Amino acid sequence: MSDEANAPTGARSLGVIRNPQDFYGGLALCALSLFAFWASDDLPGMRGFSFGPGTAPRIFAGVLLAFGVVITAMGFLTQGKPLERYAIRGPFWITVSIIVFANTVRPLGLVFATFVSFMISGLASPETRWVETTIAGVLMTALCVLLFVQLLALPFQLWPRF
Amino acid sequence: MHDLLGNLALGFHVAATPYNLLFCLIGALVGTLIGVLPGIGSVATIAMLLPITFGLPPVGALIMLAGIYYGAQYGGSTTSILVNIPGEATSVVTTLDGFQMAKQGRAGPALAIAAIGSFFAGCVATVLVAALGAPLTSAALLFGPAEYFSLMVLGLIFAVVLAKGSLIKALAMILAGLLMSMVGSDLETGVGRMTFDVPELSDGIGFVTVAMGVFGFAEIIRNLEGSAEDRSIVQAKVTGLMPTRKDLIDSAGAIGRGTIIGSILGILPGGGAVIASFAAYTFEKRFAKRPERFGNGAIEGVAAPESANNAAAQTAFIPLLTLGIPPNAVMALMVGAMTIHGIVPGPQVMTKQPELFWGMITSMWLGNLMLVVINLPLVGVWVSLLRVPYRLLYPAILVFCYIGIYSINNAPADVVIAAVFGVLGYLLVKHEFEPAPLILGFVLGPLMEENLRRAMLIARGDVTVFITRPISGTLIGIAVLLLVLAGLPMLRKRREEVFVE
Repeated sequence: MSDEANAPTGARSLGVIRNPQDFYGGLALCALSLFAFWASDDLPGMRGFSFGPGTAPRIFAGVLLAFGVVITAMGFLTQGKPLERYAIRGPFWITVSIIVFANTVRPLGLVFATFVSFMISGLASPETRWVETTIAGVLMTALCVLLFVQLLALPFQLWPRF
Repeated sequence: MHDLLGNLALGFHVAATPYNLLFCLIGALVGTLIGVLPGIGSVATIAMLLPITFGLPPVGALIMLAGIYYGAQYGGSTTSILVNIPGEATSVVTTLDGFQMAKQGRAGPALAIAAIGSFFAGCVATVLVAALGAPLTSAALLFGPAEYFSLMVLGLIFAVVLAKGSLIKALAMILAGLLMSMVGSDLETGVGRMTFDVPELSDGIGFVTVAMGVFGFAEIIRNLEGSAEDRSIVQAKVTGLMPTRKDLIDSAGAIGRGTIIGSILGILPGGGAVIASFAAYTFEKRFAKRPERFGNGAIEGVAAPESANNAAAQTAFIPLLTLGIPPNAVMALMVGAMTIHGIVPGPQVMTKQPELFWGMITSMWLGNLMLVVINLPLVGVWVSLLRVPYRLLYPAILVFCYIGIYSINNAPADVVIAAVFGVLGYLLVKHEFEPAPLILGFVLGPLMEENLRRAMLIARGDVTVFITRPISGTLIGIAVLLLVLAGLPMLRKRREEVFVE
């Protein structure tokens, strides 16, 4: 919300923002707090002196907003490190791997989900060697089946359901 | 005193059953393993293993998790000494003198002293936990909702003051954690809060899900950014394990002082093992007759921090078991573990489940003994394990996490939520926000809200109750004082000094 609205101006006046880590971090906190205010908008608040469901979330969100504003302000007042570059490859492939696991573990079973998400997560690192990773994936899948299904007797579907 | 012995006897009775001994051994071994491996912390591991403990009996599960925690303090020293990479944050200072000793061919004595120091500290801390448990528990009975709320505020402030980096950012992280813990059904009215009618959110965001995302996934993403070079191993020759008489005499005092410092800092909320090891090292260096020896292989520089971190790891259980308040992130996970088994941490644990309480305490002593016995011969194994390349290790950890999260509720959505928190955790680290206060806030959130609500109801809406009631007022006073002190520039400089790695 406010993050997006303020980001372009922030980028243009980079000379003013002396501590970008704090500046953008603070903005994100403000955004989170405003989002919480909006999300808890429908909850009833105080009735007399007893708390309603919405009271505590709004108290916490309010204090968080105050901190967010201060931290954003610190972005102007203090000298800090420049923003670090975000890695894209790692987070991206790990997220893909997670989503694939979440969507395959029910319909296709644990064996398939484990092996495939193992291989996909291998894409996250440039150092991966595929033959080695494939062998490790097979071993890991076997280990997981042994540990979770055989030893711990968790009720998992192993193979695809037809 | 008689009670104490009787209780310890009960504890041994519980802890020494073959099953519980086995759990203790597994915990200590796993703990050592993750302590040895850099990049996998005890927080992440305990988070990963929480779901597995679901099928175990509660006593066994907690004994195992506790074993992982103190085992990790212990294993961290092995990597620090042999490879100059701290396996755990608590072993950072051990690298300074430990690795120097290893370079001089004295890796054996360094490892042995770390083991002996840890064992001694573990023994003392076990007795301390047992001795302080009962009086603190009776003190807890004087606590009403207002006092509990104030105590939690104090605990959170402690965590903030002693945490690394910016005060205000740590405070903001706590608030963010508190806010996130509000998602889910309201305790009193059952209204869904901030759930957006998503059924998976109506039970709230699972603690394990958050912890695994913020610590586990984020840590892996972060590690993948780094290059592989920092995992190269200096092949230190481990010859002659036994320390000389002179080594023992030199380190005896350091072990004692480290144990005392560690025990005290462990009890304080927010203190914990990391601070303890730093403090013990600084203390030794400052009061040594020849401080220039430190950094060049002084055995006291290994003995003091290693004793301190082990002592702190154990005394950290005191506030958890007596007051039900987790003093650090690992203890917060222990709350999660207890809740999974339907145990409410707090003073009632000791009276209602004495076998759990005392069994766990005595298992710590047994666990420490096991650590000494298993670790010295296993040093070679740990060294060879360090050669497993990270490119194979991280997918395995990831997959293990996926299955772990999924197994809690058999809910694929939980795994996706953890992914969101993983990316969040990565962004936090990138912006130099500490994730640990967030987790602490997340765990304490529901407790704080409940006590705040009750206190306000009892006081008929009078906010001053937190200051006018004597115990509560004192706690709040200490919290404010701490914040002011930490805000003062002089002390802030000190803090930075302590954390320069």
